[in-house]
Amino acid sequence: MIVFVALVSMSALAVAAPVLARRLGRNAGYVIAAGFVAVAALLSTEWPDVLAGRPPGVSWPWLPALGVSFTLRLDGLASLFCLLVLVVGALIMAYCPRYLTPDGRHGEIYFLLTAFGGAMFGLVLAGDLVLLLVFWETTSILSFFLIASAGGKGERPATRALLVTGAGGLALLLAVVLIAATVGSTDIETVLAARLRVLASPVAPAIGGLLILAAFTKSAQVPFHFWLPGAMVAITPVSAYLHAATMVKAGIYLLTRFSTLFAGRTGWALVLIGTGLVTALLGAVLALREHDLKALLAYSTVSQLGLLVAAIGVGTTVALAAAILHTFAHALFKATLFMLVGIIDREAGSRDIRRLSGLMRVMPVTATLTGLAGLSLAGVAPLIGFVSKESLFQGFAGARVFPGSGVVTGALAVAASALTFSYGVRIFYGAFAGPTLQRLYEPSWAFLAPAAVAAVAGTVLGPAVTVLNPLVRRATLDVEPWERPPHFSLWHGFSAELLMSGVTIGIGLVLFLARAPVDRALQRLPSPVGEKVFDSIHQALIRLGNVVGRPDRRDSVAAFLARPVAGVVLLGAAGLVLLGAPPDLRVADGPADRVVLALLTASVIGVAAARSALAAVALLGAVGLVVTVWFLLAGGPDVALTLLLVEILTAMIAAFVLRDLPRRFPRTTRRVRLAAGVAAALAGLAAATGTAALTGRGEPSAAGEFFLRAAEPRTGGRNVVNTILVDFRGLDTLGETSVLAAAALGLLLLPGVARARAGLGPGPVLGPARRLFVPVIGVLSAYLFLRGHNEPGGGFAAALVGGIAIAFGALVGHRSRVGPPRSRAMPFLSAGLLLCSAVGLFAMALGGPFLTPLTATFTVPPFGAVGLSSSLLFDLGVYLLVFGLLVTAVGRLGGEMSVASEVSAR
Amino acid sequence: MTAAVAVGVLVAGGVYLVLCPGLVRVTFGFVLLGHAVNILLVTSGGLTRRAAPLAGSGDPAQMADPLPQAFVLTAIVITFGITVYLLALAGAEHHGEPTGPEEPSS
Repeated sequence: MIVFVALVSMSALAVAAPVLARRLGRNAGYVIAAGFVAVAALLSTEWPDVLAGRPPGVSWPWLPALGVSFTLRLDGLASLFCLLVLVVGALIMAYCPRYLTPDGRHGEIYFLLTAFGGAMFGLVLAGDLVLLLVFWETTSILSFFLIASAGGKGERPATRALLVTGAGGLALLLAVVLIAATVGSTDIETVLAARLRVLASPVAPAIGGLLILAAFTKSAQVPFHFWLPGAMVAITPVSAYLHAATMVKAGIYLLTRFSTLFAGRTGWALVLIGTGLVTALLGAVLALREHDLKALLAYSTVSQLGLLVAAIGVGTTVALAAAILHTFAHALFKATLFMLVGIIDREAGSRDIRRLSGLMRVMPVTATLTGLAGLSLAGVAPLIGFVSKESLFQGFAGARVFPGSGVVTGALAVAASALTFSYGVRIFYGAFAGPTLQRLYEPSWAFLAPAAVAAVAGTVLGPAVTVLNPLVRRATLDVEPWERPPHFSLWHGFSAELLMSGVTIGIGLVLFLARAPVDRALQRLPSPVGEKVFDSIHQALIRLGNVVGRPDRRDSVAAFLARPVAGVVLLGAAGLVLLGAPPDLRVADGPADRVVLALLTASVIGVAAARSALAAVALLGAVGLVVTVWFLLAGGPDVALTLLLVEILTAMIAAFVLRDLPRRFPRTTRRVRLAAGVAAALAGLAAATGTAALTGRGEPSAAGEFFLRAAEPRTGGRNVVNTILVDFRGLDTLGETSVLAAAALGLLLLPGVARARAGLGPGPVLGPARRLFVPVIGVLSAYLFLRGHNEPGGGFAAALVGGIAIAFGALVGHRSRVGPPRSRAMPFLSAGLLLCSAVGLFAMALGGPFLTPLTATFTVPPFGAVGLSSSLLFDLGVYLLVFGLLVTAVGRLGGEMSVASEVSAR
Repeated sequence: MTAAVAVGVLVAGGVYLVLCPGLVRVTFGFVLLGHAVNILLVTSGGLTRRAAPLAGSGDPAQMADPLPQAFVLTAIVITFGITVYLLALAGAEHHGEPTGPEEPSS
């Protein structure tokens, strides 16, 4: 439970960060740092359980249907990463106040940094793969925003980082799906325990490959390394926290975690060792040729991550323990270096390593701290970087992937470390030796303190590395419970790794002493092209998307629709061929059906051939009437009633619109008519055969039988169709009426057309007719609504009748009560949606599922027992929504006439 | 059988109108296609039993399947909503309002 409280506290800190920043300005960082420390202290109460191998945690069902749970688990490995996130986080937060400008708004930066801390914290605590994925993606997104906060120059790097890490996130998602399908669980503990089952499955290589891909993108391995140096446009706290100490370690965490499954597998080992060492060497070379300290540190991070990946690839318990220790050590000295570079940049106005010279005489404290961290990076005794590097060497020398692999990997690791030594010593040299170039002053102690704490910790933890032993041993045991993890100590005798350290320092010294010719040689190397390659691939993809989408981006609707129509016809034809069996045409046809079909065919041909707009409207209405009759014959009085009303309204609204349009449709060429005709004939043929083939059933459907049987006993309504709409499938109806609300909103948002036209006032016939009809129609609407549950009618039909009254009013030129559409229609729409939702929520409040109908019976003296169902209220909501749409439509399309006619009357 | 032919006729008419120039005709084609789909839905419930599904009004064994009717009922109203929207678009287009897709940027 403490683990959960810690995660909640981190979220609370993130929410509080902007508020704190508004109150305290840049000093908010101190409060947040204290918060981080408090969370760490809270977690440390679980320390004994963690070290004893009884990981504390919580687990609640989250998506029970998928077996996904909200599980947090604090084992040794998670503890070690939590320590990094919280301790380095606290240092960075304490560093921010003096780094950020005194004025200015820092709420956003503090929020993003703290939220990132929380996400990273969740990532390492997650005991379920889906939860891990959520936090993983959150860190990518927050990283994007933090890089982008650098302004215009951060735009491209932020995009690159997001796309690369986002692609890795997709790979992780695929891996999670494959794992869930193989193991049947997303619980990490269960998955890791099912090692043999995973390895025996045919998708094991895919799982391993996808996990590697995810880790490589996040941890900046070749060829995805380029985003990390680009991310250095962000402010120094971001670089130190995300892009040196924590987020880029997420990939390391993932690989370490899944070493339980894959450690020792040849493919896994070869890919990790190969890529890791190439990254380590390339990163080190690129770091050595950089003069910008921040870029140097970025490439150095790439290089060190490569070493870590390679060590994890070796997979022995010694190598894994070394990787875990080095992750810790690296976070410590790299964050220190970043903080100090930020300080030097502020004080000296430059980050050029060549200008960093003779610092000892003008900024003794800064110089000492920089020198210490630089030596730790270089791997010089007795700093922590020395211990972790020695143990890495020990791990590499013990590689057993192929014969002689220990020698090869050991030699390459030594080469990369020699380069690292060389630029580490350059930093040290700049701090302590050389001529003083500038008159500089020591920064305030508050600015230096966080870096000082980290630098001193890195120094003390070298000799005192045994303090870390219990945690690192526990973490290693969590990964490979079947092994006996090693003990670390500063001095462990004259061993192979000591010799390797000696060689490293020797080569490194030579490289350092010959730095002028080395520099010249390195500058002649081609510059890295990763960003350019990525950008050109990105551009090519966007161009490809343009090419694919081009046929659909044109004004002609026909060209736009022709291909989907052809596709549907082809699909239908293919379906019929595959279906094979000839259609069963036992469907009973009455004589009336043939008459209806003949009328239908004639009127459809009429609509298609009509050139006069008004004739087309009339013939479209005729088609609608014939279809209405068809529904009546098929036994659907409700459907027929609704369609009839809709046809009347469609004709009215079409009339409104057509007033302003040309009387005749645009002329079509013979070619267009022919092409459209052929397509139409084929589509019609496909539709007819498809219908015949698929609808030959004679027996009633099980669902239909159920509704016929259960409607009256369960709902009290006799109109089965209406009970389906408002009682059984209320959620569907709610969704469908929401579409109507959306259509109404769309109408309201269409640009208005201001025009004046000569309107006819209410004529001698229509004027009195309106006064007579409108109240009658209103009563009819209410009647249809109230009887809907038992007889044909209901909210849809009743609202359509009400809409006819409105439309009629507009048609005869009466300045109806419709008024301006925006103000008049909105209450109906919102009341309808709110009423429908409230009915559903009320049922939930009473403990039933959403939209459960509630029925109550009252005794009203003259009528006896009267049943009242909440579905009536729901139907009222439907009524209001449909009515709202009609008010909108009439107000929008018919309203102008009435206004215009008033204008002309003056 | 007549139902299948009716669907075919409506689809043919609808597709023809949709492929013709002018948004009003496209809208009318859309209405015809809506009719076709609605008839298809009701047909899928079977046309051998044709009594209205009103409980207590007769033999349940002769009643039409109510479920497709419920689908079609809402479909009719939604089709209407979209028809109105398309007609409004046609009107706006005539008055020179930019309603079409934007020009491709490249």
